[in-house]
Amino acid sequence: MLKGVRIVDLSMGWAGPLSTRNLADLGATVIKVESCTKFDWWRSWEATQEWIDDDGAEKALPFLYVNRNKLDITLDLESNEGRDLLLKLVASTDAVVENFSGSVLPKLRLDYSELKKANPKLIMLSMPAFGATGPWKDFRAYGSTVEQSSGLPHLVGHADQSPTMQHIAYGDSIGGLNGTAALLIALWHKRQTGEGQFIDLSQVECLFPLSAPGILSQSAAKETPTRSGHNQKIDCPHGVFPVQGEDRWIFIHVKTDEEWQIFSSLVDELSDFNDLILVERQRMSEKLFASIADWSCQQDGQVLMKMLQQNGIASATLNTSDDLIENEHFQSRGYLQWLERAFVGNQPHPSPPWRNGTEAIKIKEPAPTLGQHNTKILKDWLGLNEAELGGLEKRGIIGNKPRL
Amino acid sequence: MNSAAHSALESMRVIDLSGTVATEYSAKLFCDYGADVVNIEPEEGFQTRLLPPFIKGTSISALHAYLNANKKSVCGPIEKNYLERFLRKSDLFLYSLDDHRAMEAIADSSANQCCISWYGESGAYSGYKGSDGCIQAMSGLMRGIGAPGEAPIIPPGYQAQIIGGLSAFNGSMAFLLGQLMGNLDEHFKLDCSILEANMCLTDLGPINRLNGNEIPPRMGINRFPPTYPLGVWPCKNGWLGVTALSPSQWKSFCQLLDLDDFIDIDFFDVSINRYMSIDVLEPAILKSLEEKDAEELFYRGQEMRIPLARVPTMEELLKIDQYKTRGAFTPIKSGSKSFLAPSSPFRLLKTPAIDLRVLADLGEHNGYLDKL
Repeated sequence: MLKGVRIVDLSMGWAGPLSTRNLADLGATVIKVESCTKFDWWRSWEATQEWIDDDGAEKALPFLYVNRNKLDITLDLESNEGRDLLLKLVASTDAVVENFSGSVLPKLRLDYSELKKANPKLIMLSMPAFGATGPWKDFRAYGSTVEQSSGLPHLVGHADQSPTMQHIAYGDSIGGLNGTAALLIALWHKRQTGEGQFIDLSQVECLFPLSAPGILSQSAAKETPTRSGHNQKIDCPHGVFPVQGEDRWIFIHVKTDEEWQIFSSLVDELSDFNDLILVERQRMSEKLFASIADWSCQQDGQVLMKMLQQNGIASATLNTSDDLIENEHFQSRGYLQWLERAFVGNQPHPSPPWRNGTEAIKIKEPAPTLGQHNTKILKDWLGLNEAELGGLEKRGIIGNKPRL
Repeated sequence: MNSAAHSALESMRVIDLSGTVATEYSAKLFCDYGADVVNIEPEEGFQTRLLPPFIKGTSISALHAYLNANKKSVCGPIEKNYLERFLRKSDLFLYSLDDHRAMEAIADSSANQCCISWYGESGAYSGYKGSDGCIQAMSGLMRGIGAPGEAPIIPPGYQAQIIGGLSAFNGSMAFLLGQLMGNLDEHFKLDCSILEANMCLTDLGPINRLNGNEIPPRMGINRFPPTYPLGVWPCKNGWLGVTALSPSQWKSFCQLLDLDDFIDIDFFDVSINRYMSIDVLEPAILKSLEEKDAEELFYRGQEMRIPLARVPTMEELLKIDQYKTRGAFTPIKSGSKSFLAPSSPFRLLKTPAIDLRVLADLGEHNGYLDKL
């Protein structure tokens, strides 16, 4: 779909690489640029010589799954030769993506003003945690820091407990999806006008739409939202209930009075409450939740979910990772695709979340090894000869193995 | 309109037939960057008009206003013949699989379509009922949140649909771009599953399990093994977000908190060792934090290159200089009322998002499509 789009990807970790993975899945040519000393920290942030000797850089599962369908070269960007080669590569590319903290690229003389000299029509997506401007622009952050900084934890959990994070790297995934969106808009504009541009994406601000009900409660309704646990004051019942087994749960969401009548007719303990309307259910929610839990804990989760769904009630078991592997829906959608990869063998990959028709978009290539495409890109695309490649390798500007 | 000479997507027209949070968020991204977005609403309006919070003193949904500012509102039936009349004048039709009226009207048409559904148009659960909580449960996100022994915590709001809408935007934009580039000669009909969009948060879990790695059970609020310290902790004044991942970040964090005794213990250079030593480390960390000011720690920590965070309440969030300076919240106007809402999280410097945001009344643009 995006054949003919070329992206140079300087990003590391999860957010930036996910934004370019989405484009690579759709057919764009994405060239990941690392160096042997400044390799993607998603390979490891605790690298040791033992890890290097064991080819640890090629075995990191998080790295493998966000970098599929990409090419990989190594260039020491702190050297003049490495920098010049990057600029040559940038000259024939549509976009550059980076997610360093604000001071890194200016120090390397590779910020947008420099890159644009090599390619005046360049798009550059810069996606640091706090954006490219403002007093915090150079501050450091991981995906966890992003979630913390967004205020979202103040909306999650129970009022008598700490503000609650939802995920170790929530900010990364959401930043990545927004990065894809921003690039696609800029590519559309470029295709129509020939103009490139700088994109300033703040990963923290990418989480604000997810907090929108809380933000708008403050700004529009003039009410400071509280952490309300399971009592989210919209529908009732809307909660998590135990089912058979240790730490096994089901989520049940009854959306209307009509659905309540159906649901309560399925549960003996609720037969006396069949006619309750929403406000009455909310008022009695503690009692109703206890009755539902007494009933649900005797049921098998999968059987219960299917029975409720057959009766038109939204419900879902709280899946573990093992459940997801065995899940009949994912299997029937062909969600996981398997690809052979050096050092790790046959590996599963989740399908892209869009399909044109019924078939999942095919994942063509696994993640590249470090510097796997040095020769292809530096020789075939940039015109270097064998002797020049050998010299670069000898001087440590390119390579295939990390160095501490 | 802002001062931009050109909005990136101004040549585009997008029709939202269903008005779910997911379709509306997807269409909002088109609208923010200049596309002509038309909501075809039933007589009573899209369901999002009923969603809280409401603008103080009114019955207008602020959430609906946030999702639909600058869109046109046409109120009327969705009929096949009606849609056929302007198929060629529109670039994309967005709708929900749950919306049978839209499904019937759009079926077999030669328009670009994006069907956003909870579970996808095919597969064992394609006919299942859904909601944001169902997606968070099924994707595996929900069971990791909360204390062991207690019911897992439900993430609030419409996060699953926002992620689904964003992902559907990406798919639709890519296929529209593919058409523009000549890579696709025919119309497309995208199947966008909100569940699969949300799997980007959790799909490392099954990948790890298939490689024989253990996945820890729910360990507690703000517990993410093997990483430690990572969490949200109370200080003398406010909450501090902590992530100390590398050995150097850990040592700097100890220095910041005057926990010098831990700095030279090599065993603690490895994250999992720290996690396994929570009983020793956490009481000391909490005691030190409770004597210190969160804001001061945040700035001093960032100077020491530790990725610390202020964890603002919603009230504090709207006042933070970093976000105010960047215009992260801009007004939306609805009638005589105006309130702040999140701006576009990315800024395209030559073709910025439209910064003047106004909510149309229901049916304000009736007849608009007939005049095209």
